[in-house]
Amino acid sequence: MRAGDLRRALRDALLVGALLWIAVTAAFVRDRNKDATQRALRHAQAAAELVAIGDTPPTPTAAAAIVGAPVASKEHGFLRRRVAHTPTGERALGGPTAPAVDKLLYDAAGRYDKDGPFVAMLTDGSERAVAAVATARGPAIAITAGPEPRAPVPWLAVLGHLGLMLVLVGVGAVLGGRARGVGVALGLATWAFPAYFAGGPGLALAMLAVAAAAGWAHATGATDRAIASVRAHKVALSFLAPAGVAMIVLVVVPFAVGLALGFYDHHHGRWTFVGLANFKRILTGDGHALSDPLNFWFILGVTLAWTFVNVMLHVLFGTLFALILRQPWLKARGLWRVLLIVPWAVPNYITALIWKGMFAGEYGAVNSILSGLGLDRVSWFSSWATAFSANVATNTWLGFPFMMVVALGALESIPKELEEAAEVDGASSWQRFKEITLPHLKPALGPAIVLGSIWTFNMFNVIALVSGGKPGGSTDILVTDAYRWAFERGEQYGMAAALGTIIFLLLLGWTLIGRGLTKGDEEARP
Amino acid sequence: MSVRRPKLPIVVGVHALLAIATMAVLYPVMLVVKKAFEPGRQFALSPSPIPKRVTLEHFRALLSARGSHGELAFLQHTISSLAVAIATTVVGIALSCTAAYALSRFRFPGRKAALTSFLVVQMFPASLLMIPLYVLLHELGLLNSLSGLVLVYSTTAIPFCVWTLKGYFDSLPRELFEAARVDGAGPIRIFWTIVLPLARPGIAVTALFSFMTAWNEFILASTFLTDEGKYTLPVMLKSSVGQFSADWGQFAAGALLTSLPVMALFYVVQKYLVGGLTAGAVKG
Amino acid sequence: MIRGLAIAALCAAAAACGRSDAAVTVWHAYDKDERVAIEALAADWNAANPERKVELVAMPYDGFGDKLGSAIPNGNGPDLFLYSQDRLGDWTAAGVLEPIEFWIDDATAARYTPEALASLAYHDALWGLPVAVKSLALYVRTDLVPTPPRTTDELLAMAPALTARGVFALAYPVDDLYAHAPWLHGFGGRAMDGDTPTIATAEAVAAAGFARELVQRKVVPAEADAALTATLFAEGKAAMAISGPWFIADIPAGVPYTITTLPTVSATGLAAAPYLGTEGILMSARARDKDAAIAVALAFTSDAAAALRAERAGQVVPNPAAYRGALADAPRLAAFRRQLAHTVPMPVSPAMRAVWTPYKNALGQVVSGAASPAAALEKAATDIANYARTEGAR
Repeated sequence: MRAGDLRRALRDALLVGALLWIAVTAAFVRDRNKDATQRALRHAQAAAELVAIGDTPPTPTAAAAIVGAPVASKEHGFLRRRVAHTPTGERALGGPTAPAVDKLLYDAAGRYDKDGPFVAMLTDGSERAVAAVATARGPAIAITAGPEPRAPVPWLAVLGHLGLMLVLVGVGAVLGGRARGVGVALGLATWAFPAYFAGGPGLALAMLAVAAAAGWAHATGATDRAIASVRAHKVALSFLAPAGVAMIVLVVVPFAVGLALGFYDHHHGRWTFVGLANFKRILTGDGHALSDPLNFWFILGVTLAWTFVNVMLHVLFGTLFALILRQPWLKARGLWRVLLIVPWAVPNYITALIWKGMFAGEYGAVNSILSGLGLDRVSWFSSWATAFSANVATNTWLGFPFMMVVALGALESIPKELEEAAEVDGASSWQRFKEITLPHLKPALGPAIVLGSIWTFNMFNVIALVSGGKPGGSTDILVTDAYRWAFERGEQYGMAAALGTIIFLLLLGWTLIGRGLTKGDEEARP
Repeated sequence: MSVRRPKLPIVVGVHALLAIATMAVLYPVMLVVKKAFEPGRQFALSPSPIPKRVTLEHFRALLSARGSHGELAFLQHTISSLAVAIATTVVGIALSCTAAYALSRFRFPGRKAALTSFLVVQMFPASLLMIPLYVLLHELGLLNSLSGLVLVYSTTAIPFCVWTLKGYFDSLPRELFEAARVDGAGPIRIFWTIVLPLARPGIAVTALFSFMTAWNEFILASTFLTDEGKYTLPVMLKSSVGQFSADWGQFAAGALLTSLPVMALFYVVQKYLVGGLTAGAVKG
Repeated sequence: MIRGLAIAALCAAAAACGRSDAAVTVWHAYDKDERVAIEALAADWNAANPERKVELVAMPYDGFGDKLGSAIPNGNGPDLFLYSQDRLGDWTAAGVLEPIEFWIDDATAARYTPEALASLAYHDALWGLPVAVKSLALYVRTDLVPTPPRTTDELLAMAPALTARGVFALAYPVDDLYAHAPWLHGFGGRAMDGDTPTIATAEAVAAAGFARELVQRKVVPAEADAALTATLFAEGKAAMAISGPWFIADIPAGVPYTITTLPTVSATGLAAAPYLGTEGILMSARARDKDAAIAVALAFTSDAAAALRAERAGQVVPNPAAYRGALADAPRLAAFRRQLAHTVPMPVSPAMRAVWTPYKNALGQVVSGAASPAAALEKAATDIANYARTEGAR
């Protein structure tokens, strides 16, 4: 036997054991809370039954009484008085200065009138239970006094179990050979016992499966290799870890939850699993004709047109300005550049609100300018084409500086000698543009276009604030439609999440295609 | 892109066109400036960018408005916004520089997956992450705290920053690293003394981006914050033009003051801006 | 990694030292005068009750309702909040609200007008105490229209003279159901019958047709939202406007105007009746100290408190006893109080939430001439039923 074997076996067992410990502890805490809840419910039920036959309950109660039927006030039908009957006498429930427990009795009686006899936990977080049973005079109601005591943690059993696990793992390691893996598996398998008591057979079976897998991984040396690999790359991984952890907690987890919500239906704070129903509803157009602005395919078409037109205009204006700005003979180049970047610096919700004002009604600045030029005023948001154009104008304005800056950067990298040589050779400006400028623009603009199209595809603020979907929701894009599902159609968060998933898949597909087209992938480089 | 200077009429023509285009680009901004200095709550109907009468009334009203506890609201919101934006920038840059360095200079299993996931997570519409994020921040006890916003904003900004910075790090000459390694410098020292100083343009640009992410966001801020004293500027600004009643004068004054820091940053960073964004793609 | 943990720890520590727990927190979306008035009430309360103070938190109006709906079930909400009754249906079903009829006896109830109190009742329970009632009314520029129109025919008749001067007779957000509601009700229609949307009725079609006529005859501008309505009225490009009490703040000093009731619809002889929104002080189901909370709610809606709010903020308060002395005949309050007689309570049903946007789309189509009133409303009815279909499927 070698000391290294024992160390490795214990390492694996403790690593996996720690994970199992978390799972079992979680199950234990849950089970213990459930147990306390059930005792509270039993006590409340028993107390209520005693109250019903006129006895005083033995366990402490916050309140216990038989509550009479409501008597509605003459003026206001919804103001209803009840009377509580206790062995010590009667009292009216309610009034501006009534004690707080009386309200619990009153509300329980109201619930009894609606649902019949019940026993439940109070929802105020006090861990008290309330029960109502039927009597001839009305419901007998009892409310427990406070949280039930929790079962103690079985520390002795925990220590014994840990010892047994270490012994089994150790014996396996000492025997050596195949027994090492078996020892790890058997040692970890001991977690099945507490798992069975805390979480039932399902959890126990899961523990056994994990134990077997861990034993197998240990026997084949898979864990050794994994740990060696982490060791070998520990510098790189520790540089990546802070961002990685932050991303997993704050982006990947909500993202996964967001994906999962797409399979649920939401109604009044309750979630129901509905499988693919949301997706089916969206993809089949939700009963709308294809020409209806509420049909998914219509919105998708608008979104694609929106993205394409915008990105095209961004690239066009961005490149155009960049080409002008890099001319060496241009006066005050720095000044022009700063002025043209200004739209990027203005927060985009401010931009959107300004442009909305400029397009407003018959009096907006745009219409005033049009009529000043002798043209007709345009009612911008009453037809699709004009409303869409208004959105596009806004977004082009705020988006072109980014492309301009990217293009400027790319153009700066063109070696002067190359252009001079071409000019000496008598190449026309079009030839020079095609042969020299364009090839230098492409590698920088490619990724920028992919990124820009993702941003434009999800550009919520401009659509929501400028056209607001007018007319008739026809200028909505997928994100604004998703928002409507969440907040304007009865809080159907499930539909919104499903739409979000579809948006994600579309963009994922587009990025894969886009990366293939632009070869922006750094792996292509040496 | 002619190297030689073209004929004079062309030069003059291009300057004139550029001037007109720039005027058009700046027109909406000038309307805001006009409204900020013009009396009245309404968006004026005239398209002229020059105010008829000039007043500082909107700025005075904005700056002297008081919150529930008698504090100067605009000042308070500015401080909140600055704190959030600066913290976001610092956290975002710290996290993305290290991650980008790992992804650019090291080869390890899972690297490609990490790179891809930094790109992919940007694709789920942020507005739909709101509900899960709300529950998550609630569980972490970070709702209604500026720290929670900082965490959310910096993770929003990280993917773009990582990609930009990685491109920039890729473009740094390999020989430098080899030389440093031969001199016996460890990876941390190389990162600290060689990569960071050389990557200043890239860092400046991503810092600007992180700052803007935090400075301009209002949907999450207005959902997560439930304490007036913590509101950021956009939350306040957006609420001055509500559905029923809008005070465009104060909005314009606020918009102007809100845009100024970003514009100043752009001005400072602009010499890095060109190139900082694209170094990786161009030089690779 | 360590840095990440340190940040997380710092943040948690920062979050822990949050608000004081003893106070009764009240969220509101009040601004300007209304805010000043309620802050005065809170100051009075805090002076009298130093051991259980009130803490007011002002919220942006946009998204206020959604924020309440998500904050309260998660335990991050206020103890009390001010909101109108239109989300009662949603919130009672989701368990957001605490029923308060337990604390209210007939003597207390007698403070308020029965209609205002009843509008905060839903499903045999009371969910809030009325703070203010809000409805639209007619704003008239007296320099352009010396005598306000009493009927819609009069309104149509005075339009050509004004149009000739480049002035619209009337401005309001034509495509917004809330602003369109006076005509809808004036033509005898309703948007909801209990929990059932009633969209494409003959009355609704007639009302939408009337809105289209207003636009086509250039009586009303086609695209005015609330902001543009204010601008047009302020600059004299619209002689009248339909809006609520909040509009007063939008009118610049020096503009001569008066407020009056909306005209009678000549086609039916019924008064144009806007929605009546009752702003209530509502209690969260998760309120920490409910006894303290109800005491605050009662104090903020007492007759004296109501008089203070009416006087300082021009609120139309539902406490008859508050209108004494100068308040009894303050002209603006009087105009809105007269309009109250011709109002329709804002629907409380959750189904109403899905009505606004399709209705807006339909009205937009009608006034732009893209669809006939009947066709547009039929389409809206189908869309609304479609959203309700899945909601009712459980």
